[in-house]
Formats: sequence, C-alpha cells, structure tokens
Amino acid sequence: MEIKNAPVNKQAEETDKGYDVSRRRFFQLAGGLAGAGLLLSSCNNHTKPTATYLGSGDVALLNYLYIMEQMEASYYTQAFATPYYGMTKDELLLMQDLRDQEIAHREFLKQVLGTNAIAAISLNFSMVTFADRNSVLSYAALFEDLVISAINGSAHLFSNTDYVVTLNKMVTVEARHSAYVRDALYANTFSKNVIDVNGLDRSVSPAAGLATAASYIHTNFDSSKLPN
Amino acid sequence: MMNFKNILKEIEQTDAGVYEQIKGRRQVLKSFGARAVAAALPFATGSLFTEAYGKTTGVDAHVQALNFILALEYFAYNYYHTANNTGGLIPANDQPGFLTIENEKKAHITYLNAQIANTFLGSPYTPKNYNPSASNPYFVVSGAYDFTAGGKYLVFSDYPTFVMMAETFEDTFVHGYLGQTTVALDSNTLLALLMQMQCSVARHASFARFVRRNLGYAQAPEHPAPWITNNIPPIPDLQLYYSGEENTSQLGIDISLLPGISGTTPQISATAAFDDNLKDRLAVLSLLSYFML
Repeated sequence: MEIKNAPVNKQAEETDKGYDVSRRRFFQLAGGLAGAGLLLSSCNNHTKPTATYLGSGDVALLNYLYIMEQMEASYYTQAFATPYYGMTKDELLLMQDLRDQEIAHREFLKQVLGTNAIAAISLNFSMVTFADRNSVLSYAALFEDLVISAINGSAHLFSNTDYVVTLNKMVTVEARHSAYVRDALYANTFSKNVIDVNGLDRSVSPAAGLATAASYIHTNFDSSKLPN
Repeated sequence: MMNFKNILKEIEQTDAGVYEQIKGRRQVLKSFGARAVAAALPFATGSLFTEAYGKTTGVDAHVQALNFILALEYFAYNYYHTANNTGGLIPANDQPGFLTIENEKKAHITYLNAQIANTFLGSPYTPKNYNPSASNPYFVVSGAYDFTAGGKYLVFSDYPTFVMMAETFEDTFVHGYLGQTTVALDSNTLLALLMQMQCSVARHASFARFVRRNLGYAQAPEHPAPWITNNIPPIPDLQLYYSGEENTSQLGIDISLLPGISGTTPQISATAAFDDNLKDRLAVLSLLSYFML
C-alpha cells in the first residue's frame, strides 16, 4: 500500500491498536492525514546533537512554560487539521478555540521572553492516534493537566511577580480547557482523579514537570539553571 | 455616592466589616438602582481600595484573603446543595457533575477553615445567621442567601436559569480568586492554595458553561464556550459580571496582535485565552450582594 510510505501512517499503524476505531475507517481517514506529515515532520528528526539551554531564573521558568505551551499549541493545531473520526461541527469550533488560545499563550510567552526564547521545539506525538476521538481527547486532558500543574508548581519561584499575576490568568483558562476535554470524553468528569480531597488541583515542580513532558518532546534541554 | 464613601471608610477600618456591610450596601444598591452599581464598581476598584488594603500586610492580609475566598465557597456550597436537593430540578445526565461541584465546594470550606485557623492563625468567616447542624455544618437553612434575588431569577424551579446563574457565579468566583493573587505574592503557602483551588473553581465554571451550551440556542442564544469569549454575558442583565473580560492586553502585550494560525490571533481567542477582570473583594461581594440577605 502506498500509504505505508508516508511516515505518519507508519506511525499510526504502530499505535492504532487498542483504540476503538475501525482499521478500515482509519485508513479511509489516513488519506486526509497527508497534511499531518508536514505538521509533524519535525518528529522524524531524531538526532539530538546539542541540548537547548533554558537559561536561568525567570527566563528558565518562562522557557519551561513556553515548552509546555508549544506542546499544547502544536497538539491542537494537529488535532484541528486532521479532525478525529466523528468530530461534530460544534466540537470542531471548540477545537479551533483551543488551538487559537494555546497559540496565543505560546506567542505571548515568546514575546515576553524576546531574545531569550528558545527555538521551536521538536515534538513527538507518535503515541496519539489523531483519527481517534478517544485518543485525541485523552491526550488533550493529559497535556492540559500537565500544564496546569506546571504553572501551579512554578509560580512561587518567579522573581518578577508581574509574571505570577498574568500566569494566574492563564492557568484558570487551562483548567477550563481540561474540564471541557474531559467532559467531552466522559460526561461529568471535569475534575475526576485530578482534584484531591481538599478540593485542590495539581502542582508539580519544574524538574518533574519537564521530565513528564519529555515523553512527548524530541528536543533535549539543558535545565541545569531551572529553578526548582 | 456619599453612602458608598461611608462604606469605604468602614472597610478601611476593619475588613471583617465588609461582610456586615453587604446588607447595607444592598439597600444602597437597591435605592440607587443599576446606574449606581455601574458607577460604584470602577470606584470600588479604584485607588482608595488599593490603599486601604495595601496598608494591611502579612498574616492579617492573608487571613482577609482566605476569609473572602471562604465567603465565596459558602455561597457556592449553599447554592449547589439547595439545587441538588430540589427534586426535579437537575436532569439525571447532569446531576453527577453538580454533585461533584457541591462536594468540591465542601472540601474547599473544610480546608480553608483548617488553614485559616491552624496555619494562618485567624478566625474563619461564617455566613450570616450561621447555625451549624452536626449533619451538615456548612448549610445555612435560612437568613443568609436568596439565590433568586428577590424572585428575579427562578434558579430552583427553572433548570436553564439555575445553569445560567451557576455559570455567572463561577465566572465571578474565578475573578474573585484572581483578584487575590497580589495578596498572596509574599506567601508561597497562600499562593499555592489560591492557585490550586482556583483551578478547581475554573473547572466548575467550564462545566456550567458547557452544560449551558448544550441546552441549545433556544435556551442559550449566546452559545457559551467553556471559556469566556469577549465580555459576553448569558443575558444583558448580567453584563456587569463580565465587564472587563474584553481585555486583550497582558503585561503590555496586545494578544490580538500576536501571530495566529494565519494572520493575527482572533479577537475571541485573544480575550478567552486569559481570564481577566481581576476584581477586588468589595467588587465581587457587591456583585453577589443581590443574592445575599
């Protein structure tokens, strides 16, 4: 089959097992995934010659969150470009919102960082089946919850408190995103297994958050000066 | 405006007074009408308040912030507890979500009470006419809240109205939490508490808005997304609760001018990407005062 030559379909072949989507339907959709190869082309570059230095202090923390927002923005860009099977018109509208808001977060942090911003990172979404609703929404929830915990767990480390005030205004929107993708996947699960007995959302240290994110990123980072 | 100034002075003297003032303030708002409210809000968020609260630092300021959050949580808990115990109000499909919200509000109250008393060494706020029962200590049977605002919103007999006010309350709570960020900047403990709790509240807001969206265009013509788009309220009467959400400037950067998927960021996403209109305590309590006795 000619589609086997397309890297993105090879990737899909490896990962579509275990998802509740008809294989035939998946490959019908795969034709529509041609553009995905372009969007994810950077994933095929597995060489990691040097580590990207995040900087120190507030710059390192902002770059850390910039990594997270790049991850989310790219994820929703892909999810919108190659809608999962059965995506309703309403879901498409909300997916577009998610994409544009995460791009706004990414570009905002890039602007704040200025010349200190790291380059665009290389992402690895090979574990995601973009044709499958369950897969797309599950990973969306995972990424949203990771970003929420990353912001919550890094805010106190900033020297410039103006950043904290603004990041707070971002993190509540990430929580809205997480709740939505969770509710869309399984009704009424907006906080299931995330909110603890005290009614608190998650928090993670920068080192631990970066380690979790690394599963979805090819780029190597030098986080030696990242506050923790 | 003289009445408002008197209220402001009393608040400068004691923050605890802010809750006592709600009744008086409500009368003032009633007598002056909607125009007075519109005039009062910018005033309430002005420099006088910044100065008044700015003078209080350290533990006292932290306790004030926590007690304010606690007041919001009591308000919310009583709203959902009443709704969840009103037969026939909430459809079975949505009931688990609203029960989850009620439980998380309860958890917030319990945690805040403990934190205020044990960590911040303050006296936890209690609602008006608080008369705790052993079985349900956070529910005020009567004399604290009127969630219908004098019969204006039939929240416990009309489901779409209940959802609409859940949305409005939750979005206002988020604004209230965000307004306390500056108070928490000198306390990692308080900052962590506020941030992790406000994310739970934002999830509630998202759920309420999504439920309303799914009611359809007939019941929710504005078709709300789980996030706040521009400053669009559910109905024009509730515009004040969303004023300021149209802001697109963050740290001096205009989000709407940043690169988007093509061209610049769409206006709706530039506003929705950040929760905004960080309101101070009096501004939030003023908005909720219509529903407090």
